[in-house]
Amino acid sequence: MSSATTSSPTATARPGVRPGLGRIVLLILAVAALLYVPTLLTERAIFGHRLSNMQLLNLGLTQINLMLISMLGALSLNYLMGCAGLISIGHAAFYATGAMAAAVTGTQLGWPFPLVLVAAGVAGGVVGALAGLPSLRVRGLYFVLSTMAVHYMVTFGFLEYQFRVFDVVGIPFATPSLFGFELSTPTRWYFVLLALVVLTYWGLRNTLRSREGRAMLAMRDHERAAVAAGVDVRVLRIKAFGLSSAIAGVAGALYAYYLSNATAETFGINFAIQFIAMIIIGGMGSLAGAIIGAAVWLLLPSVIGGMASEIGPMPGLLGSLLTEHRAQFVQLIFGVLVIVLLIFAPGGLVGLAHRFKALFGRRSEG
Amino acid sequence: MFQQVLFSGMALGSIYGLVALGFAVIFKATEVFNFAQGMFVVCGAYLAVTAIAILDLPFPVAVLFVLVMAALIGAVIQSTLIQPLAGRPILAVIMLTIAISIVLRAGIEIAYGPPARTLTTPMPSGGFAFMGLMISKLHLTAALVSWACVILFGLFFRYTSIGLLMRATADSHEAATISGIRVNTMNRLAWGIGFTLAAIGGVFLGQLQIVSTELESIGLLALPAVVIGGMQSIPGAVLGGLLVGVIEQLAAAYISPKASDVAIYVLLLAILMVRPWGLLGQRGINRV
Repeated sequence: MSSATTSSPTATARPGVRPGLGRIVLLILAVAALLYVPTLLTERAIFGHRLSNMQLLNLGLTQINLMLISMLGALSLNYLMGCAGLISIGHAAFYATGAMAAAVTGTQLGWPFPLVLVAAGVAGGVVGALAGLPSLRVRGLYFVLSTMAVHYMVTFGFLEYQFRVFDVVGIPFATPSLFGFELSTPTRWYFVLLALVVLTYWGLRNTLRSREGRAMLAMRDHERAAVAAGVDVRVLRIKAFGLSSAIAGVAGALYAYYLSNATAETFGINFAIQFIAMIIIGGMGSLAGAIIGAAVWLLLPSVIGGMASEIGPMPGLLGSLLTEHRAQFVQLIFGVLVIVLLIFAPGGLVGLAHRFKALFGRRSEG
Repeated sequence: MFQQVLFSGMALGSIYGLVALGFAVIFKATEVFNFAQGMFVVCGAYLAVTAIAILDLPFPVAVLFVLVMAALIGAVIQSTLIQPLAGRPILAVIMLTIAISIVLRAGIEIAYGPPARTLTTPMPSGGFAFMGLMISKLHLTAALVSWACVILFGLFFRYTSIGLLMRATADSHEAATISGIRVNTMNRLAWGIGFTLAAIGGVFLGQLQIVSTELESIGLLALPAVVIGGMQSIPGAVLGGLLVGVIEQLAAAYISPKASDVAIYVLLLAILMVRPWGLLGQRGINRV
């Protein structure tokens, strides 16, 4: 088996085993912690006990919200690349499609926000299905390049649209409201985004456990065997592409609304590459890996920034790295992290965790 | 107007062809689809800046410095990073090259600072009129040097014994190993050559424009060039580079400056749909 299939997402699923009391308690604690995060980060205190900036890892709710939006992108990309086995470096294009659809329906036509999200999802899905069409004809590297071509076409369309209807400063997005509930504060955004991430995670996990999901994993692992078993891989690929792009479209609309402005430069090829990096860091083919990868990618820069201001001025190379070249330094760390993980731990952080678990004699998974 | 655009397209296309040739050498030898080729171009430009503006070397020495350093860096990247991933799925290898370009970009921006640099060399500048065309001497030099390099390397692969060994290695690693060829050395050599060709392209692009990490996007045009020309074909890479240069200039002149990228990628997609093995590639190899 190739190393791309290190941890199958169904590995942790144990139908028939009743969740123990420990698991239920853990789940309740996790839910409580997630619900407490906005209070913690806005009041910067835990039950009235003040915390220093460093104890909170220099995090704010804005980073957490951006992280949640990225999680949607990483989840959908990991579904496509890790589970369906289709490599795409055009993921930014579907974000851009979603943002564009949101601009047409939301900013121009003034549709209500939930409908705008649906429109963004549909637009992303349709463009994604179209972008998946070359998979009928070309494979591997050639398919990767066709997704890159799609990326340039969509961003060109975005640029033309942006300059025809709006101008160089970008497309403005009003503060959205969800059934009369204005998303005017980061805390409100947090709960909406959290719900969407949980919903997407849960939906994708169930999709993977369905008949089609299993067929898709079979297609990834051994295409000919899957075909022999009666799986129509052509339709399956386009469906996977459509679903993944629809999620990316919604994420793109959310991203545009959250930043309240979008330009074509936002969705460059590097935007797509960061999602690939996230799922490599977290773990290819594992939905949890997508979550972890997105968290590392979005939170590490601010943690490093916090550390730098905590330590204070430092002499020499490290000092200049942490102050004037901090953005580049973070990129350097990410690049090295990806290289090291690729060489030594192809399963990403999730794969590493599984290995450690096995090492310490606990029940090994996967 | 048309001839003028065609000339600058051909001149730029020759540079792209050179970068694409480097890409094709790497791909043929190690089957690595190198997304870092664009960053290699940037490295070449910064090597030239280091040699000329910082170390203040005389021009011929500076050229030698750029060539030697580029070949060394290419070989080091191959032996430390690419070799451990031999035989891994293509995504891992693609992502590795992307990560290499992220690291190189960050390293360059830390070492040289974010502001762009200008590169001045004693190479001829200015222009002259020829048959109603305004010909820039720098463009002409770039095109001529690129073609000289292409021909030189073509002869090298065709007629020297090392070239023969490299072609044999590219054909089949196993057969080459059995015949006693040091496959890893050959692969290192291929990466050295690939990096050097990109670096030469970078020296010219850095002079025609300005030296900054943004040159990467120009260097990355080698990717569509190689695919359009045919991935397994060395002349195809050069032809693809020329086509990409001409199309880019034509689209920028007649459609809109924003349309140059999309015109190239539309052609790429069309080629992928109709002739996935490229204009000069061999049919059959590419169908998996």
